[in-house]
Amino acid sequence: MNILVLIKQVPESQATRMDESTGTIVREAANSVINPLDLHALECALILREQSDTTVNLDCLSMGPPAAVSVLKEAIALGADQGYLLSDRKFAGSDTWCTARTLAAAIAKIGSYDLILCGERATDGETGQTGPALAAMLDLPVLTYASAISRSAGGWRVRRMLEDGYETVETTGPAVVCVLKEASVPRLPTLAGKRRARAASCRVIDAAELGIDPADTGLNASPTRVVSIFRPNHLKHSERLSALDPAGVERAVEKIIAIFRQKGVL
Amino acid sequence: MNNLPFAKITPRVAAELASIVGERNLIYADSERLQAYSHDEAAHCPPALPEAVLKPGSAAEIAAIMRLANREHIAVTPRGAGSGLSGGAVPIHGGIVLDCARMSKILEIDRENLTVTVEPGVITSEINDALRPFNLFYAGYPMSLETCMIGGNVAENAGGGKAVKYGVTGRYVLGLEIVTPTGEIVELGGKLVKDVSGLNLLQLMVGSEGILAVFTKIILKLLPLPKANVDLLCLFDSVEKAIAVVPRIITVGGIIPTAIEFIDKLAFSTACEYLNESLPCGSSEAMLLITVDGADQEQVEKQYDVIGEQCLAAGASAVYVADNKANSERIWRIRRSIAEAFKVFSPNQSLEDIVVPIAAIPAMSKAISDISQKYGVLIPCYGHAGDGNLHATPVMPPEWGLPQWERVLPAILHDLYQACKALGGRISGEHGIGHKRKQYLAETVDPGFLNMMRSIKTALDPNGILNPGKIFD
Repeated sequence: MNILVLIKQVPESQATRMDESTGTIVREAANSVINPLDLHALECALILREQSDTTVNLDCLSMGPPAAVSVLKEAIALGADQGYLLSDRKFAGSDTWCTARTLAAAIAKIGSYDLILCGERATDGETGQTGPALAAMLDLPVLTYASAISRSAGGWRVRRMLEDGYETVETTGPAVVCVLKEASVPRLPTLAGKRRARAASCRVIDAAELGIDPADTGLNASPTRVVSIFRPNHLKHSERLSALDPAGVERAVEKIIAIFRQKGVL
Repeated sequence: MNNLPFAKITPRVAAELASIVGERNLIYADSERLQAYSHDEAAHCPPALPEAVLKPGSAAEIAAIMRLANREHIAVTPRGAGSGLSGGAVPIHGGIVLDCARMSKILEIDRENLTVTVEPGVITSEINDALRPFNLFYAGYPMSLETCMIGGNVAENAGGGKAVKYGVTGRYVLGLEIVTPTGEIVELGGKLVKDVSGLNLLQLMVGSEGILAVFTKIILKLLPLPKANVDLLCLFDSVEKAIAVVPRIITVGGIIPTAIEFIDKLAFSTACEYLNESLPCGSSEAMLLITVDGADQEQVEKQYDVIGEQCLAAGASAVYVADNKANSERIWRIRRSIAEAFKVFSPNQSLEDIVVPIAAIPAMSKAISDISQKYGVLIPCYGHAGDGNLHATPVMPPEWGLPQWERVLPAILHDLYQACKALGGRISGEHGIGHKRKQYLAETVDPGFLNMMRSIKTALDPNGILNPGKIFD
């Protein structure tokens, strides 16, 4: 069985700044790490491999600058077998549609997979579009908001966490699954894993090798543009009730009940 | 020492104090506001209300306060952030609390001499925030660094997590401006790497717990900021195996890590449960959290390889590597949350601070487990394995009442300290004696040592007014 995990390199710093004039992330000298939700996807893959009776080959695929090899190596340190990096200046500036298209071309080239896992979204772009777009381009079913995943007869059983409850879905064959953090708790890399990763070499694939037409990838091929970014106005209103004595608590509770009634919660 | 009872602060004296520090920097006859100064972070230290709190802004003001306090025979207790763990800042004889919080300026960063000069009320972590742009750092690293003050760190000779490699606070104190108990302003040391011009009174002041002087200016030595660091979490199936590897890292591996923290199973699992953390500790009985730092990633990689090898050779069942902020924070959070986690289990606990020669840690660990069984009390144990400083912490069983706990705790501490003494240890490695451990210090050290300390105290503070009732009687 073959499992592929998509890995995105994101800035480590929590205080990531956006350049409001260009709409892109100010990457500065911030260290790069694996997108946190992709770590959960990788952990799901590692667990599926551990639970499997048959040999499971676990590959990772990323697209980014040459330095993104470091996140693939981190994935190898955690237990992945092989890393593939799509890296070429021609890919630069790809939006989610173009990224999915490029990834789809790469997947067609590197192998056939029984399961493709990715994080539900990345902490930098926060779109959550690449996984579903990739599934569409590969003509595979997509299961988003996955909070648990296991093997089913011939396919996968996925529990999806939706706004009004859980939904369990089964596939009859390969699928793309976008996981939430509820799906697993990432492990820490071991010393042995770190050493294996240091010795491993990742395969770097450029546009020519991929055979993708430069007109179909990168900034110019991207149908979407970030035209402006701004801080949203928060629409949440809050009211603080204070109570200094039991009578005050009584009054505050009455007030809360009144508010709940007014809002139709009670 | 003068054993006369201390005088009360009359309204007349309070008015005189106000004229020194200014009306707004005096709290007097306002028990609600004075309450905040009646305790520090040491549990099991009875609170005591000061009669007045003064917030001086200069050495001259402190000197004037000390002269007045001598004249009137009023007790004076200096206080930093109140984060101490020995009751050292509790005004057990009432009188004045000197709050240093207003003296909170970083006075000078001297890049030529690699020093920083600060006032005592600077929050410790702010020093490194200010130094980071210059690629310099101050190596003190108490676990409370985001709340404690540098003046308190010097007064307690604070240790913390990086003492294995960098030593404790005293190593970095190059100079002090102090106000003596009788109200003189004296400078000790300076921006000097070497200085044997006279007795080393500078280092006498370091760790003096506020009984010999009030610090008003501190000159600290700086180091180049390490650019890379990595943490290893190493699991062992026995305490002995974990501890045996500690000296080997240094002697065989040839590396001095920045930190070697020891966490026993009980402390680890309680903190993990509290944090909802599911790191697999399996059948491990002990964990070592080892940090290395260095000039670049490559150097650090070499170091952690060697250390990891030593741990595996010593029987570690797993060695995890945390080389990014998220993973480092994930494992250090466990270490830092232990005390908090046990407070949820039971609010009454006695955070201890014993220190033994590092080779005696397994024997001490065994003794702690025997004491735990004898009294039917959990005693999680964690701390700085690299320097033998263990925070064994007896925790009150939730089903006990407070009276039972208060009756039994002294017996537990007595046994703990005697076991520590028998192994060549001392009752406090970094928290200090203060009020909390005073009776136990006398039981565990040479009487000649106590007499020398009393002589020094009497010589410098003939009226015995500065932080009375601390360390020894």
